[in-house]
Amino acid sequence: MKSYINNYEVLCDAGDTKGLMQAIYAKKSAVSIDVSYIKDRPSGLGKMHYDNIFNVLKDVTSKVLKASNLENFKDTLLILGSSVGGMQECEDIFYSQKNYKNINPNRYSMNTLTDYLCKEFDFYDSRAISTACTSSANALVLAKRLIDVEAYENILVVGADGLCASTVLGFHALGVLSDKPCLPFDKERNGMNVAEAVAIMLIQNTKTKDSMELKGVGASSDAYHMTNPDPEAGGAMSSMRDAINDAKLSLDDIDYVNAHGTATPANDRVEALAIEKLFANDVYVSSTKAITGHTLGAAGAIEAIISCEVIKNSIIPPQTGLQNQENTNINIPKESIEMSVKNIVSNSFAFGGNNTSIVVGACV
Amino acid sequence: MKKVAIKIISSAKVYAPTQIEELDTKRLVPKMMLRRRLTRNSKVMLYLSDKCGFTNGKIVYGSCYSELEETAKIADEALMQGALSPTSFQNSVYNTAPSYFSLINGDKDEIITISSGMKTSLDALKTSALQALVSKERVLCVAVECLNIKNIEQINRCADYLEAGCGVVLEIDDDISDAKEIQNLKIDGIINSLQDLMSVVQMHENGIEKILIEL
Repeated sequence: MKSYINNYEVLCDAGDTKGLMQAIYAKKSAVSIDVSYIKDRPSGLGKMHYDNIFNVLKDVTSKVLKASNLENFKDTLLILGSSVGGMQECEDIFYSQKNYKNINPNRYSMNTLTDYLCKEFDFYDSRAISTACTSSANALVLAKRLIDVEAYENILVVGADGLCASTVLGFHALGVLSDKPCLPFDKERNGMNVAEAVAIMLIQNTKTKDSMELKGVGASSDAYHMTNPDPEAGGAMSSMRDAINDAKLSLDDIDYVNAHGTATPANDRVEALAIEKLFANDVYVSSTKAITGHTLGAAGAIEAIISCEVIKNSIIPPQTGLQNQENTNINIPKESIEMSVKNIVSNSFAFGGNNTSIVVGACV
Repeated sequence: MKKVAIKIISSAKVYAPTQIEELDTKRLVPKMMLRRRLTRNSKVMLYLSDKCGFTNGKIVYGSCYSELEETAKIADEALMQGALSPTSFQNSVYNTAPSYFSLINGDKDEIITISSGMKTSLDALKTSALQALVSKERVLCVAVECLNIKNIEQINRCADYLEAGCGVVLEIDDDISDAKEIQNLKIDGIINSLQDLMSVVQMHENGIEKILIEL
């Protein structure tokens, strides 16, 4: 059974899907410089304009439902990918009251978000995945496999993460938080931008007139280090290869790689090596995190949506900010490329050496 | 919605009111530097996987609260100093425990971490069944909660056992005919997020090997 991506919508620092794609093609980073999280140290962060994450979830889900062929979500499985869940609210309470007494344990973890959506929209069932920055990419992996085995006809995949002090301070502690909009694959890159987003996709077993296909998924573990990627790039190559094999495609069929491309020194070096080893110079590569920042658990879903839009628009996104490319053996465009785009690999990598790749393609 | 039969190959459970004393960590992780970095969830997960005889393959790990100790540490550090320990931060993600397993055992296969509130272990079982069905391989399904942090009494209203975990190695059984639904064999005082998998472990201990799971 094939998996079709039939409807989707985003809210991120660059706005909705339309605003995001305009920013990507205009090479206009939506990352802003913040001085509120870290004393005396500016941070480049990707901030949404919103009141609270629950209202964003409700609004974006409503838009996807309205655009879909469904009347409701009663026969739909909800799969969430998130790395912080309800952490924002719990942090606020803890930092203001300096104890746990008024923290509701049911509003701490990932299920806070699924519980809310189930209450608002009455889904058949739900599950929540948290594998750090591969969370919503892994939600897509499960969605495709559940449709493959004919367990469900409709699956709503949600990638959602809000900004938290613990993630901003944590990436700062690791020495990988940039003080300016990030520069993926550039020699001068100095780290990532923590960001927030809600990205929602309806995956179905039936094709509609605007369908894209979720053609393949692949996942692997580095078994190398908790935060640093395998320098030989074996894990990243393995997840990409598995996704392409799952799609029953060859390397030549891939037109573009939407890279994980966080702009940390280690990630970009290893990911570029993986792409070089696998594709040589034969595929276009860029990272849209230069526009969105790194939306952590939402990254897999938002970049899958970007991949759908790239196919629809027939325009390969340029690499925003790129001046001095570090690995010149891969093909990173500095300007948009207009061409027919049939298949895209989108990568997501996470702490613990967790690698996930998906293949999104035009329907044939 | 589709149901499949899973066959339980091996199972294990462990729990304690405050802290599980003997997790055999020195034997399981001989390298001292690595052993010192392990979280409580990681030690419990390593213990359970060893008891289940699992060293390599696909893992589905479930935890509602996951690395609570590391998260509490970084919240305290943020409040007091405005700066965090990098080790605590890297150890605070929900896939920390299975990632240490992967590192220690050289397991390069897929890891999925489920955190679905009080139905975490049921959803971990469903996901494990899917992974086993798609791959035709044996899968480790393991769920752990370690809640033994300072001031936990301020929020703990349901668990008498602050450390608990359970796990099974399972595979798909193509003959669904005599598979049993999950029985309610809850252990009083264990947090509900673990109870479905605990029930499956107890069913296995009672001689029931084949369980019906809705994907």
